Parts: sequence; structure tokens; C-alpha cells
Amino acid sequence: MSAGRGTDAAATPSPPPAAGHAVQVGDDLPQRIIESVDAEKMKTMAALLGDPNTIHWDVDDVRRLGLGDRPVNQGPNNMGYVIDMLADWAGGPANFRRVKVRFLGNVFAEDRLVAGGKVTGVRPGSGGRLVDCDVWLARNGTEAVLAGTATVLLPD
Amino acid sequence: MIPFEAVSGLVGRKLPGGTFDLEHYRNWLTNDVLGSPQRGDDLAHPMFCYYAAMGGMGLSIAELFELAHSSADQGPMFGECDMEVLTPLRTGVSYDVRGEITDVKRKQGGAIGTFDLVTFRLEVVAPDGEVAGACTNSFIYPRKL
Repeated sequence: MSAGRGTDAAATPSPPPAAGHAVQVGDDLPQRIIESVDAEKMKTMAALLGDPNTIHWDVDDVRRLGLGDRPVNQGPNNMGYVIDMLADWAGGPANFRRVKVRFLGNVFAEDRLVAGGKVTGVRPGSGGRLVDCDVWLARNGTEAVLAGTATVLLPD
Repeated sequence: MIPFEAVSGLVGRKLPGGTFDLEHYRNWLTNDVLGSPQRGDDLAHPMFCYYAAMGGMGLSIAELFELAHSSADQGPMFGECDMEVLTPLRTGVSYDVRGEITDVKRKQGGAIGTFDLVTFRLEVVAPDGEVAGACTNSFIYPRKL
């Protein structure tokens, strides 16, 4: 199965906040769920990035390094799931502004991921409201593998 | 173990820089990897702020590891990323990239022991000369005894 939407993953259905819609500190962002991280997608990304790290495709090396027996997802992919969660909520990728994250743990092939966030601030911005959020990515129910802060624009 | 001075001396080192061609196929494949919707316009996935920065910094990832006196088989890890998009990136555009190493710290970690945290900032510059985005990345380099 592949990471993302379609048959393999589903974002919690929720339209982006309409112009003027109340957004308050403490609001939860609609979660984005990746039902099963796909090892084949890691190979595509390794080729795209020219990433020589074998842990993304060579299971023998993953074992040799004591990391288990499943390929390890690229960290930027994990950031990308969170950005998509933000962009979905904010009305599209053009409204993404910033993310600052720490990578706390590995994501492995076949893991189930949940990207989530909570509004921590709302302030005026050029063309709309800038919404600051805490964001995270959780692996297999509870383990936080990425955490940080982000900002999106909600257009007027 | 590599002396800390050999790593800390990298602070202020300019990276070669270069250009990144944000070709449509890269964006399509990235959307496919992430499960993002394929768009009918030229708006690129926001992650291209990072991908363009890394792809145009003038070093391969292997060369970046080498600069930090490490290599892929020593298990370097992505520690932190601060990515800001000032102007959405577009496919079909060539972006200039410039950057430098901004900080180096040596720390002790529970599982990996001694490691160096090497931070570098990259700017993605649009053809009009304006900075479209910036990434400040910190990579963790385990240092075996």
C-alpha cells in the first residue's frame, strides 16, 4: 500500500475554514492518516533526492544497523505528511508558510501514521489570518516521531 | 574520534550553491510519494523549498556528509528542519540556491553517544532575485570512539 490518500490513506473529512470562520486557539486541525507507509515510495524518493543512505531501500543494511527489518522512511517524507495536513486545512499548498520540526524517531515501512495539529495563535497577516499551530506526526497510535510548530495563511 | 575543532571550524563555510530546476516530473513524483493531490497548475508541493535547497546547494548528500567528516554508513540523521516559504515555488522555474554552515555543537545522546549537530541555512532564490524560501537544517552525526 502507498502512503497518502486514495485507497490507502484518508484525511479526516473537513473543509478548510471559510473566510471569516472562527478559528480559535485550542482548535484541533483535521488529522491526516497514512494507513501504511509504502517501501516502494521510499525508493522513488531516494532516487529523486540522490540519497545514498541504504536504510531507505536495503533491508539487509537496516538489519546490519540494528534498526529492525523494514526500510526506514526519509525524514523529509514525514515532514511532507504534516505539510499536507496543514495545506489541506488551509485551502491548498499556496497557503503554507512555515514549519519547524524536530525528528524524534524513525518511521518504518508499513507503519500507520497520524499527522495532527492544534492552533496556538491567530494573528493578522497580508491577505488573511496567519494561524500558528503545534504539529506532530505519531506512529502506530502513540509514538511521536516528529513534533514542532507551523504557520499557515487563512485567506480573507 | 574526529576532533571537535575539525568540525566547529566549518561554521561560516559557504556552500558552493547552484541551481535547481523544478521540473514537473519531480513535483509529480513527490506528490505521488506523499499521497498529495496532483494539481493542474504549476504550483509545486511546499516540500520543494527543502528539495530545491538541498538539490541546488552544490553538494550531494554524500558530499555534505563528507564535509562533516562522516558518511552514510556512519548513520547520520536528520535532526531539525525550519522551512519557510515566502513565495510558493512553481514548476518550470530554475531557482538559485546559496547557503552556509551556521552552527556546530558537540553533544552526548543516550543511545548514540557523542554526536555533532551541524546546522546549515539554505536560501532558494527566484529568478527575480527575491528569496522564495529558506531552510535551516540540522543533521546529527554520530561520532564513534
